[in-house]
Amino acid sequence: MRFTIVLILSLLIGAAVFASTGYVERRLLRIDPNALPDDPALLRFAVSRGQPLFMVHCAICHGVSGTGDPAKGVPDLTDSDWLYGSGRVADIEQIIEYGIRSRNSRSWNLAIMPAYARPRPNPADKNIRPLSPGEISDLIEFLFRQQGRAAEATMVSRGAALFTGDAGCFDCHSVDAKGDSAIGAPNLTDAITLYGDGSRDALFLSIAYGRQGVCPAWIKKLGAPGIREIAVYVYSISHPAEIPNGN
Amino acid sequence: MATDQDSRRAPWRDLTQVSGARSLVLMTMGALTGLILAGYSLFTARGTTTLSVPAEDVALVNQQAISRSDYLILLQTLYGVDLSHATREQRRQVLNDMIREELFVQRGKELDLSSSDPEARSALVNAVELEVSENAMTAQPSEATLRQFYATHQDRYVSEGIMNVQDWVFPTGELRNIAANLESLKSAAIPAETLARLHGRESGKTKDEEFYFAAKIHLGDQLFANARELSDGTSSTPISLSDGVHVLYMVKNKRPVPFDFDKSRAQVLNDYRNQAIDQLRAGDESFLRKRANVRVADDLR
Repeated sequence: MRFTIVLILSLLIGAAVFASTGYVERRLLRIDPNALPDDPALLRFAVSRGQPLFMVHCAICHGVSGTGDPAKGVPDLTDSDWLYGSGRVADIEQIIEYGIRSRNSRSWNLAIMPAYARPRPNPADKNIRPLSPGEISDLIEFLFRQQGRAAEATMVSRGAALFTGDAGCFDCHSVDAKGDSAIGAPNLTDAITLYGDGSRDALFLSIAYGRQGVCPAWIKKLGAPGIREIAVYVYSISHPAEIPNGN
Repeated sequence: MATDQDSRRAPWRDLTQVSGARSLVLMTMGALTGLILAGYSLFTARGTTTLSVPAEDVALVNQQAISRSDYLILLQTLYGVDLSHATREQRRQVLNDMIREELFVQRGKELDLSSSDPEARSALVNAVELEVSENAMTAQPSEATLRQFYATHQDRYVSEGIMNVQDWVFPTGELRNIAANLESLKSAAIPAETLARLHGRESGKTKDEEFYFAAKIHLGDQLFANARELSDGTSSTPISLSDGVHVLYMVKNKRPVPFDFDKSRAQVLNDYRNQAIDQLRAGDESFLRKRANVRVADDLR
């Protein structure tokens, strides 16, 4: 008799836990993702489920801690510098879902960094002309000056004219070189570099041979709950102060 | 005493005895639980008629889901607001637009537009190709695989050469004199007197440092082929072309050098994925052809 009661109680508790998890999962999916940080319990739930998924699907590139690797051009997800969007949960979710240059028709795919040492720097834009090695060096000096580093004055002035002129850099990076997160053009005036160590050699490589990093689209591999949970986890590692302690 | 109490218990409560009533109740409970579970699964599983809209969707149009995430993106794109800040009217408008689109897509399928509308056909072909590509993109190759790919295709990962070359051009009749004065032409700045005597001039085809591809365009194939072999501070032998005799002086020649794996890793990964995508697409097409029943008209066989 006692065994029967224990069995029934266990089943009831199991069913309650199952129903409760399902309820929280549905709430997680229905809530405005950008309002999620205002719901500590839901945030904790999503973070706890997102972390293992991140380790399986994202850590291979972004690293276990999510700090990326400039040697591979993999962005740091733990800082406040967002290449695409502004780092809100919905922005992150959209990247995970459709990717960046992932060949999904909804991926972020508005711009690439042209390869100025090639006859056709950007195959999709015939108006962008190649640059000479000297012109690339001028641009680098200009960027150094924008970052507050020592640079050769004459070259800076020539570089500035190129940047805002026919090299076309301003078109993506903006006239002030502060970038445009609507198209994934990085801020060139800060100390954060996506590729390499920010040296003249590293900048030469980026300008001469171009960049076009890729993040896969996970919409077919992960369901909506998984994508949202990873998005919330990524949000949590970039906004640690907003994450309540404990589970 | 205890035995008397046990015997007074109702038979359905005594687990040591068979009870028809208890069996019936338990069987009914089991059947009801099964029915509830089956009903829950039936009405919430994908691909079946559901009574409620799944949490990840905002609507079902003839059982076809409209994704909540697409709804949020459209809301943001059209009105620049997130769900919490959207007005009721904005939400309704976006939802209506999406439902309308879904209805028209479904109608398009009913009308079999893909068999007649070239744009619909082209969009479908592109979509299928993208679908194949997408699978290749999510497969992350190991570092060992990438290094092997790099080793196999190392010729792709080299820098563009850079040269600073001067091109002097003389009239064809001066060929003999040029040969006699070749030593004096081995300089970045040929004396004006020498140039005047040989009626020479700088061709103006090159200027400062140039990447190889630009120098090739400016000099032409034959002069460039000669120039790329020159070392710093050396001159070419006279080269006769239709516009005169050319002598090249190489100020600086930085030949293409292979990039190491770390410098070219991002490009290696892209190239590896592109190759995988090409292979997948070829495989996909081959599979489609194999399973298809294609008959070609006699005159076109």
